[in-house]
Amino acid sequence: MTNLASIFDLLITPFVDFAFMRRALVGSIALSIGACPIGVFLMLRRMSLVGDAMAHAILPGAALGYLFAGLSLGFMTAGGLIAGFVVALLAGLVTRVTVLKEDAALASFYLISLAGGVVLVSLRGSNVDLLHVLFGSVLALDDNTLMLLAVSTTVSLLSLAVLFRPLVLECVDPLFLRTVSKSGSLSHFGFLALVVLNLVAGFHALGTLLSVGLMMVPAFASRFWSSTLDGMIAIATLIGILSSGLGIVISYHAGTPTGPTIILSAGALYLLSILFGQKNGLILRLWPRKHLAA
Amino acid sequence: MTEGRAGFVQLNDVTLGYDRHPAVHHVSGLFEAGSLTAVIGPNGAGKSTLLKGIAGSIKPLSGSILTGSSAPRLAYLPQLAELDRDFPISVEDLIGTGFWQKIGSFRSYSRHDRQLIDVALEKVGLAGFNKRILGTLSGGQLQRVLFARLMVQDAELILIDEPFAAIDSKTVSDLMGLVRHWHDEGRTIIAVLHDMGLVAEFFPDCLLLARECVSWGPTSSVLTPDQLAKARTMIEANDPHADECERAA
Amino acid sequence: MLRLLTFCSLMGLFLGTPIYAAEPIPVVASFSIVGDIVSHIGGDRVSVDTLVGPEEDAHVFDPAPRDAARIAAAKLVVINGLGFEGWMDRLIKASGGAPKLTIASEGILSHQSTIDGHERIDPHAWQDVGNVRTYARNIADALIAIDPEGGGLYRANLSSYDDELAGLDQEIRAAISAIPTERRKIVTTHDAFGYFALTYGIEMVAPQGISTEAEASAKDVARIIRQVKSEKIPAIFLENVSDPRLAERIAAESGARIGGKLYSDALSKENAPAGTYIAMIKANIRELTKALMP
Repeated sequence: MTNLASIFDLLITPFVDFAFMRRALVGSIALSIGACPIGVFLMLRRMSLVGDAMAHAILPGAALGYLFAGLSLGFMTAGGLIAGFVVALLAGLVTRVTVLKEDAALASFYLISLAGGVVLVSLRGSNVDLLHVLFGSVLALDDNTLMLLAVSTTVSLLSLAVLFRPLVLECVDPLFLRTVSKSGSLSHFGFLALVVLNLVAGFHALGTLLSVGLMMVPAFASRFWSSTLDGMIAIATLIGILSSGLGIVISYHAGTPTGPTIILSAGALYLLSILFGQKNGLILRLWPRKHLAA
Repeated sequence: MTEGRAGFVQLNDVTLGYDRHPAVHHVSGLFEAGSLTAVIGPNGAGKSTLLKGIAGSIKPLSGSILTGSSAPRLAYLPQLAELDRDFPISVEDLIGTGFWQKIGSFRSYSRHDRQLIDVALEKVGLAGFNKRILGTLSGGQLQRVLFARLMVQDAELILIDEPFAAIDSKTVSDLMGLVRHWHDEGRTIIAVLHDMGLVAEFFPDCLLLARECVSWGPTSSVLTPDQLAKARTMIEANDPHADECERAA
Repeated sequence: MLRLLTFCSLMGLFLGTPIYAAEPIPVVASFSIVGDIVSHIGGDRVSVDTLVGPEEDAHVFDPAPRDAARIAAAKLVVINGLGFEGWMDRLIKASGGAPKLTIASEGILSHQSTIDGHERIDPHAWQDVGNVRTYARNIADALIAIDPEGGGLYRANLSSYDDELAGLDQEIRAAISAIPTERRKIVTTHDAFGYFALTYGIEMVAPQGISTEAEASAKDVARIIRQVKSEKIPAIFLENVSDPRLAERIAAESGARIGGKLYSDALSKENAPAGTYIAMIKANIRELTKALMP
């Protein structure tokens, strides 16, 4: 009985006692629901590093917004979105029209964007406050930011539902998609737009660099638990939510910075998945079960 | 049975290529509606390129391609390499994408559609494989699944590019049976192949391509030793010093 | 009679000319607060060049080659001392000489405090107005030593400035005594108010972990909220370097007021309310009373 009570104390009481803990949890759960499915698609399309590249592309846009209007939710979000969309569009354009492939095109523009961001920041004088601000804080989610997260997740889920089939087909058999439909390009850009949206929403809570972690790491872990797309998406989202809760609670008891702790929790779950996952987990491979009769 | 004779393909002095170098050079001719034609030729002869042009994936450098009197439903099976076999999609869902031209990206499959998938799976000898994941299939099984998708697309014009590379002979003969069945249904079929035996056995018409048209017509007249020899001499690598083509457009 | 008058005016002109012909003495001050005091004492006889200007951060100041040139050209260099200008030794070496160096804080009673997590001598001695009276005396002595001719002016300026400072000190004590005793505490993210706290009796609570560099952990935030609630601390003061959103969240959940801007390490630019040292102290007092009066 005391064991249960102390577990409850450990895990639940902090959230009961403090509003900022509840907000942090709600915010990161909303983020997970929006971002983790996107992460699964990025992984399957071998675009796992694109999230990171896009995060760097978004940075100068948010920096511009901050330079223009300070810590304004609206301006920083708008700046980040615009920067992200512009980079995605330019990269897509260059891929389709020139000989450069997608990876080179994207890298070229995010690097240019990033360098531009550094120049902008240095023009301001001190870069200490700007970088710190761009780290975001999941512990400081005010009502407007929570609303933004909720809206972005909703938009993300709805868009994903709409784009689902073309997205899947574009991954599996892009040539086939091109022969039956003109929507291939549209769904591709739509998908990149969703990546940008989730990263921009994420940076208010976790900062640009860490929000990529919440998007991708649960997706990687889901690979070891399911072999169907739907299964992966569900499990990735679950792991994202779990990591959020764990990360916040650990940060509460151990005094570690919350954002990174969430990502580290996801990382721990990922490592556990590699070992113990039911599909291709290492333990299963080292000690395989008996094969089936048919 | 397809209605009307809509699935013809007319090539009007068409040149297709990459980076201004022609892979298909000034080819004219007609694939009649309902015909069953094999496209053969040496490596680099432009066969895949021709199919891509007919499918609309690439635009002609000059000349034009006319498919059907009104836009017929087109099914294109490219070479295997383009498919992502690691993607976690089931056989059923992959075949289901064949309904795209009918239901677009939102509408869900009807019960009738699901039955069609079952029938297709049976016809290709994979009954019961509905829930299997793509990555667990062998090469031959995957090819059967792709043919099942072709079936479900119910197209009037079917383009197939080297479908039997590294496929077991049982699968090949089963699938060729399916192709014959489509031909009996009146669909137009154009297939790129390198197995001359197969061509001689199954295909009434043949186009021998060596960048330019060497010979086009009934298989018996095309598949002769001197035609084949002629084709081999005509093929050459891209000439880096080639001038602009002077031939009349 | 006319000849006497002419003779006297000519003599007056002759005697007065050296004053108008004299160049102002170049003095280099390490940062804005010290520079302001030097200006008040030196008046027109000196031209003050400040290395770390208004609204700049002396902690992250990185001297440039031209700063070495300014020092080389100066007749007197005035620094705060107490370890505030960590870069000064390097700079003087680089300038190739040791012009007369005056430590403004010579002779004050310093104390140790926790700065950036380390126990150090607290250099922010100017937060106690009494110390600044010593600063002014030290600076006057130094100026008289290098420019005896200006002695009269310097002493006069010192006298009037000292009166102002004495009056300011009284003002502060009066304002604080008007605040009920139990309300004389604040949370501030800056660790620069040690001398103020000791001298004038306002308890400054530094939130651990919520600083400019480190990212906050849930544990720290919870701790601060608990502390503010249990000790009934009436106000939290924002420091514009760390994340203001977090301070807002803490204030919202603990019921404290958010205080305005407190100036700690630098003056503000001309047009803002803290353009001189005295104005700066007055601005701080205004904000403190506004936040702490019931």
